[in-house]
Amino acid sequence: MIEILQNVLIPFLDLKLLSLVALGTFSGIYIGAIPGLSVTMAVSILISFTFSWDVYPAISLMIGIYMGGVYGGSRTAILLNIPGAPSAIATALDGFPMAQRGEAGEAIGITTVMSFFGGLIGITVLALAAPSVSAFAIKFQPRDYMLLAVLGILLVGSLSGDSLVKGIFAGAMGLMIGSIGLDPLTMDQRFTFGSTAMMGGISFIAVMIGMFGVSEALIQLHSMKTPGVKQVINRIVPSFGTIRKYLPLSLQSSAIGVIIGALPGTGGDIAALMAYDHARRVTKDPEVPFGQGAREGLVAPETANNAAVGGAFIPMMTLGIPGDSVTAIMIGALFIHGLHPGPMLMVEQPHMFWFIVGCLMLANIFMLIFGLTGIKLFVKVVEMPRTVLIPLILLLSIVGAYAVNNSLTDVYWMLGFGVLGYFMRLYGFSLGPVILGVILSRLLDDNWRRAIISDQESLPRLLHGIVTSPLSLTLFLAVIVIFLSKTPLWSMLMRKKTS
Amino acid sequence: MIRKLLGATLALGLTTLPALAEYPEKEIQGIIQWGAGGSTDTVMRAVTPHAEKALGGSIVMQNVTGGVGAIALNQVVNGDADGYQILFGAENPLLYKVMGLGDKDYNDFTPINVLARGVPILVARPDAPFNTYPEMIAYINAHPRDVKFGSTGPGGLPSVVTAMINQKTPIDVTFVPYDGDGPALTALQGGAIDVMPAVLGAAIEGIKGGTMKTIALFDVEASEALPEAPTIVSTNPEFGALLPWGPFFGVFVKKGTPDDVVAKLTAAYGEGAKADDFKALMDGRGFKMMNISGAEAQAFLAKWQSTTAWLVQDAGLTKASPADFGIPKP
Repeated sequence: MIEILQNVLIPFLDLKLLSLVALGTFSGIYIGAIPGLSVTMAVSILISFTFSWDVYPAISLMIGIYMGGVYGGSRTAILLNIPGAPSAIATALDGFPMAQRGEAGEAIGITTVMSFFGGLIGITVLALAAPSVSAFAIKFQPRDYMLLAVLGILLVGSLSGDSLVKGIFAGAMGLMIGSIGLDPLTMDQRFTFGSTAMMGGISFIAVMIGMFGVSEALIQLHSMKTPGVKQVINRIVPSFGTIRKYLPLSLQSSAIGVIIGALPGTGGDIAALMAYDHARRVTKDPEVPFGQGAREGLVAPETANNAAVGGAFIPMMTLGIPGDSVTAIMIGALFIHGLHPGPMLMVEQPHMFWFIVGCLMLANIFMLIFGLTGIKLFVKVVEMPRTVLIPLILLLSIVGAYAVNNSLTDVYWMLGFGVLGYFMRLYGFSLGPVILGVILSRLLDDNWRRAIISDQESLPRLLHGIVTSPLSLTLFLAVIVIFLSKTPLWSMLMRKKTS
Repeated sequence: MIRKLLGATLALGLTTLPALAEYPEKEIQGIIQWGAGGSTDTVMRAVTPHAEKALGGSIVMQNVTGGVGAIALNQVVNGDADGYQILFGAENPLLYKVMGLGDKDYNDFTPINVLARGVPILVARPDAPFNTYPEMIAYINAHPRDVKFGSTGPGGLPSVVTAMINQKTPIDVTFVPYDGDGPALTALQGGAIDVMPAVLGAAIEGIKGGTMKTIALFDVEASEALPEAPTIVSTNPEFGALLPWGPFFGVFVKKGTPDDVVAKLTAAYGEGAKADDFKALMDGRGFKMMNISGAEAQAFLAKWQSTTAWLVQDAGLTKASPADFGIPKP
């Protein structure tokens, strides 16, 4: 026990490590905030950079960047309606309307505190229950991932805005965009028209930046004369009462975040969207409707995506299996530093596990501190006149799209989808479902094929598999219940019950 | 006369120019064919700092992914042959032509160093009802289509190992496709698939930790990193003719790069690959160090392409015959 504590406290007590975690978290927040600059990229660059370092400092810096980066994505989502990272898409849905009402400061405050809370829950689960969570996560079969993806597709209902039909259309379009490129399972080319540039598919970050960033800039051109939104800043840190009010929701969202984060193959982006959908379902009467600046719409995704950080470390530390793309790179980093991440790491080098837990805790604390400072300066962005704001958004979008893969092709895609997104918005299509479709496309497509192939291409066998596995059955029932709950039949039943 | 003289001076100037400007006079761009965190990425990021030291220049590494590495390869082949763009790749491009993924491969490049090769290994989930290769074949024959093999698409290591197995004893199993051996090995540990042909480096920690078990090492000699793993030739010597075979990691520049630049890079990576911590990393992950360059590397690549292209051709996985591209039969 004392040994564990000693290892957890290493980053807290060593000034060098402490400042590296701080530096990492600080730069992570800004890397995360710039669309296109991703944590994955930053951490992989750090591998070469920290090559000659000892393993502790290298890990400290990477963890700081990871924690800060996941949080940082919310900044631009709230202020500019451009999610800095895919895991902040849900944050934009209610965060940006809040900023437009002059409550950007409050939105950032809630986001920061809730991210801290989610991070804390994620780390706690990692520290206390890692082996059992990873044993559970690894049991997910292709059919379970498929059902999870179907569950995700149903989020279209929450993201559609006014017209469900238009939402479904947008979602289907996203699924199609996601299937472009070389099929990784069969190496067949899909919708590439024989072009090598298309073989890699369309970067979905480019789609995201275009759809949110450029279309936002174009929409704002309609109201050039309107001055920037005056921001009122009286309360940044939410009161204890507010936190207590959202406690049940944030605990549930954290649970979603940890599990989805721990699943190899899904990460913070899907966790945040699922938590957002969950919030819409459990919140009976929000003070402000969802999509117009509901606080619940910030609380849920932000706790979930930071809880997913701890979650992603669970399979990595216990089995050497990455929980997401960042932990995949960290596994590589551990190898380079002479460690062997795998099932034996926890047995042979438990100190590494506790050191990482310590770093995560410290990074989480720094995230809270850095997140809550400088808000007054940041919200000035929203107050800027349109003539400054629009070029700023376009510049950020172009730099971001280029940075994804250092390729101009992505910039063209981004601009194309920006214009498309603008017209879609003009005609009342919401863009959330498009991004949702792109994110889920591979998950659904690959796992459906794996599932049916595993069952020798027989549908009865697949169904048999679903009803005999408790996990698959639960997911299957969840899909059915959520689907029915959105149909008129359900609301009729509910009305009968209450009357 | 004057014109002639001028031409001669110009020509002289042009030929001596590369020698005057000391390579590298600016940053070198390193393009990694595979994503961050993968084995190609790890190997290249581990060796390059040592090579930089020997070269006295800096190499900026960048992952360009997609199209099983074709996008990265095309980027370098479309650039200048001046040594300022290096391709860090794996074995895949040698199959692009037969798989219909492009018309360029390593024949359009000069190998700087073929660093190491991986050793294929057949692993199974720990509770699979067989422990050795003959037992596995017997079980598969008794239960057609029941055993689930992981695969990573035609042309990948699992497809080649399966082609080898099929060449000796045709097997009737279900192939479940994954996008890489990492996700497939994860699925194996969760029981979604039963057997996976993987590269030793990806499976070694799982085997040591007991989350998967070895069926056979596809090599002619035992591995130092995992000495207790039985080789396939110890039970089925007929595989000896096809082995050793394995995926590899190589450093390349575009064909036509000036000889002095190639020589400098070759020396740098040759030196880098000798670094103790790099060798330790490779040994620990079960890769066999090769560190070959020049004609030796070219011969290795030609032989690899001929063996593998014809193996997958005979297994019926190709889109075009290797004969169409003048790839000789082994």
